[in-house]
Amino acid sequence: MEDALPVFVLHSEAAHSATMNDANIHPGEMFSSLGSEQTDEQLMLAFSRGLNGAFSTLFERYRQPLFGFFRRRVADPAHAEELAQETFLAVLRGASRYQATALFRTWLYAIAFKILRAHRRKAAFRATFLGAPAEIPEPVAAGSLDVEVMMRQAVGTLDAVDREVLLMREFEQLSYAEIASLLGLPLNTVRTRLFRARLALHALLAPATAIVKEAL
Amino acid sequence: MITTAHPVAPEDLMALLDGELPVDEARVVSAHLDQCAECAELTAQFRTVSRSLSGWTVPEAPSSLEESVMAQAAQGSSATKPGRTVRLSFRNWRLWAIGCGGAVAAVLVLVLVGVSLSYYEDHPGRVAYQVQSQTPSHSEVAEFASSGASQRRVATEQKSEALQGDAPLMNSVAATDPGAVAKSRAMRSQPMQGMSAGIATRRPNDVGGGGTSSATAAAASPMIARTATLTVMVKDISAARTSFDAILARHHAYSAELVVALLEDAPPHGIQASLRIPAPELGAALIEFKSLGRVQKESQSGEEVTQQHTDLAARLQNSRETEQRLRDILAQRTGKIEDVLQVEEEIARVRGEIEGMEADQRALEHRVDFATVDLQLVEEYKEQFSTPSTSVSTRIGNAFVDGMRNAASMMLGLVLFIEEAGPVVLIWLVILGVPTLLVWKRYRRMKAKV
Repeated sequence: MEDALPVFVLHSEAAHSATMNDANIHPGEMFSSLGSEQTDEQLMLAFSRGLNGAFSTLFERYRQPLFGFFRRRVADPAHAEELAQETFLAVLRGASRYQATALFRTWLYAIAFKILRAHRRKAAFRATFLGAPAEIPEPVAAGSLDVEVMMRQAVGTLDAVDREVLLMREFEQLSYAEIASLLGLPLNTVRTRLFRARLALHALLAPATAIVKEAL
Repeated sequence: MITTAHPVAPEDLMALLDGELPVDEARVVSAHLDQCAECAELTAQFRTVSRSLSGWTVPEAPSSLEESVMAQAAQGSSATKPGRTVRLSFRNWRLWAIGCGGAVAAVLVLVLVGVSLSYYEDHPGRVAYQVQSQTPSHSEVAEFASSGASQRRVATEQKSEALQGDAPLMNSVAATDPGAVAKSRAMRSQPMQGMSAGIATRRPNDVGGGGTSSATAAAASPMIARTATLTVMVKDISAARTSFDAILARHHAYSAELVVALLEDAPPHGIQASLRIPAPELGAALIEFKSLGRVQKESQSGEEVTQQHTDLAARLQNSRETEQRLRDILAQRTGKIEDVLQVEEEIARVRGEIEGMEADQRALEHRVDFATVDLQLVEEYKEQFSTPSTSVSTRIGNAFVDGMRNAASMMLGLVLFIEEAGPVVLIWLVILGVPTLLVWKRYRRMKAKV
């Protein structure tokens, strides 16, 4: 299932579903309709004011992208589901603290990334001191493509920060500034690392791509 | 890869594809891209990577995720309100705030307790308390007087014991009856004015060879030299000083030694005195002294000196009889000059012994007649608003000197510590540091793998 398309657009902000000014809408107007035309920020504000239906809409919008965020970064599908659940619960708990000073998407992925880092710390601690396996072998599910395994292996060879920058740009479609804010890196560093990661990944995938082309 | 010089950076090509370039730069880069095959190739590589990644799909999110999340959301908004509960998490700032606040409060309490303890240890009021467990002595009096001597004016009044001054008086009452002793003292001695006749009746009238009857009377009435120690904390030392003098006059007592410290800006204030009080007046005088304030310490003791006095009287009488016999020999017998001189030498020796024993006897009787009281009056500590004024320049100079001394001391201590503990610390660093480093490297490796 296509959860997020890594497409190139001339300006990523154009893909954002809302702007800061769009969130400044009267609550009455906001609650009157919760259709697909409502921005993420409007829905979140509505939910923070007690409209539970708004959260259902947000959940439907971000269930698959958030699950994909964790699924691509965590080998165990069960862990990915747990982390996605934990992220949504964090959104529930922090709803009243939400302020429309940032995009909801950015806020959501910031929460997800914090939870992911906490999970990585715990897993590394268990692997270091308890001997638990740090990486669960990827189960080959029925219908899974070799390309998925190949991609995971290729991305896994990248530097950790480079990998994170690449994934955030390609799949979460975060802007350079958002990535820099999430990872605590300078903007130019994000650009340089992304460039490096793409070149490295191309070098890794080029032989396989050539084989596929020959086969076709 | 671009190997030739280009007007645009390769990262700009990537940024153009990502839509991260401003419009002006995007036009420039786009125009260059249309003309440069090498840059077009690089752009194609980026697109290839992007297309390859697009093939990395993930399965659909399990339905259990929706069920669990929506169940939590349905539990009510009240449960989702922040700040209602404190999550037990290492990263919860509330827990950190509470913990740090509690730690700071505990440290403050410890500091306050420590300061209070040190304050009371250095406090003058504490001095009186400590004296309770100690026996006051003349050395303490000297210490009391010398404390803060550099800044304090100590008014010291010392009166030597008038034991020798009483000697003629004692001699004058020789060979008189007990009643005459009292009358004679009442007339001639101001300190002993009004003394009750009980003192005289208890003293054997042996001076001047009063006879066996006096010795017998002394044996019947024990002679006791009384001493007492009293420490009283008073509120106002000036008022206590006035009452102190009045009590002394009322009971015909006098101070053998008196130290008064009353300087206003240099506590502790107090009076240290060694008093001589007529024995019958001792009880009443102590009661009045105790009424001056709160009693911190009181002790009384008595020394039985009857036997000592009786022995002294007997030896004195024998010596006098010996002297009398020698004088008879000298008066009645005739002989060589050498014999006469020898008798006179013997008379002089005996006379010296008699005078020494008479002095001892008088001192003993004085101890019986006058009780010794070591009195200490300490004023309660009162915090002063004004502190001893030291000039700013002096304080700055002192602080600088102290600072330099402390810095030198600290550096010396540091060097000594390094010399003493350095090898041990080095060994422990090797023992603990190497495994820790290995574990840390493994942790980082595992974290990168996850």
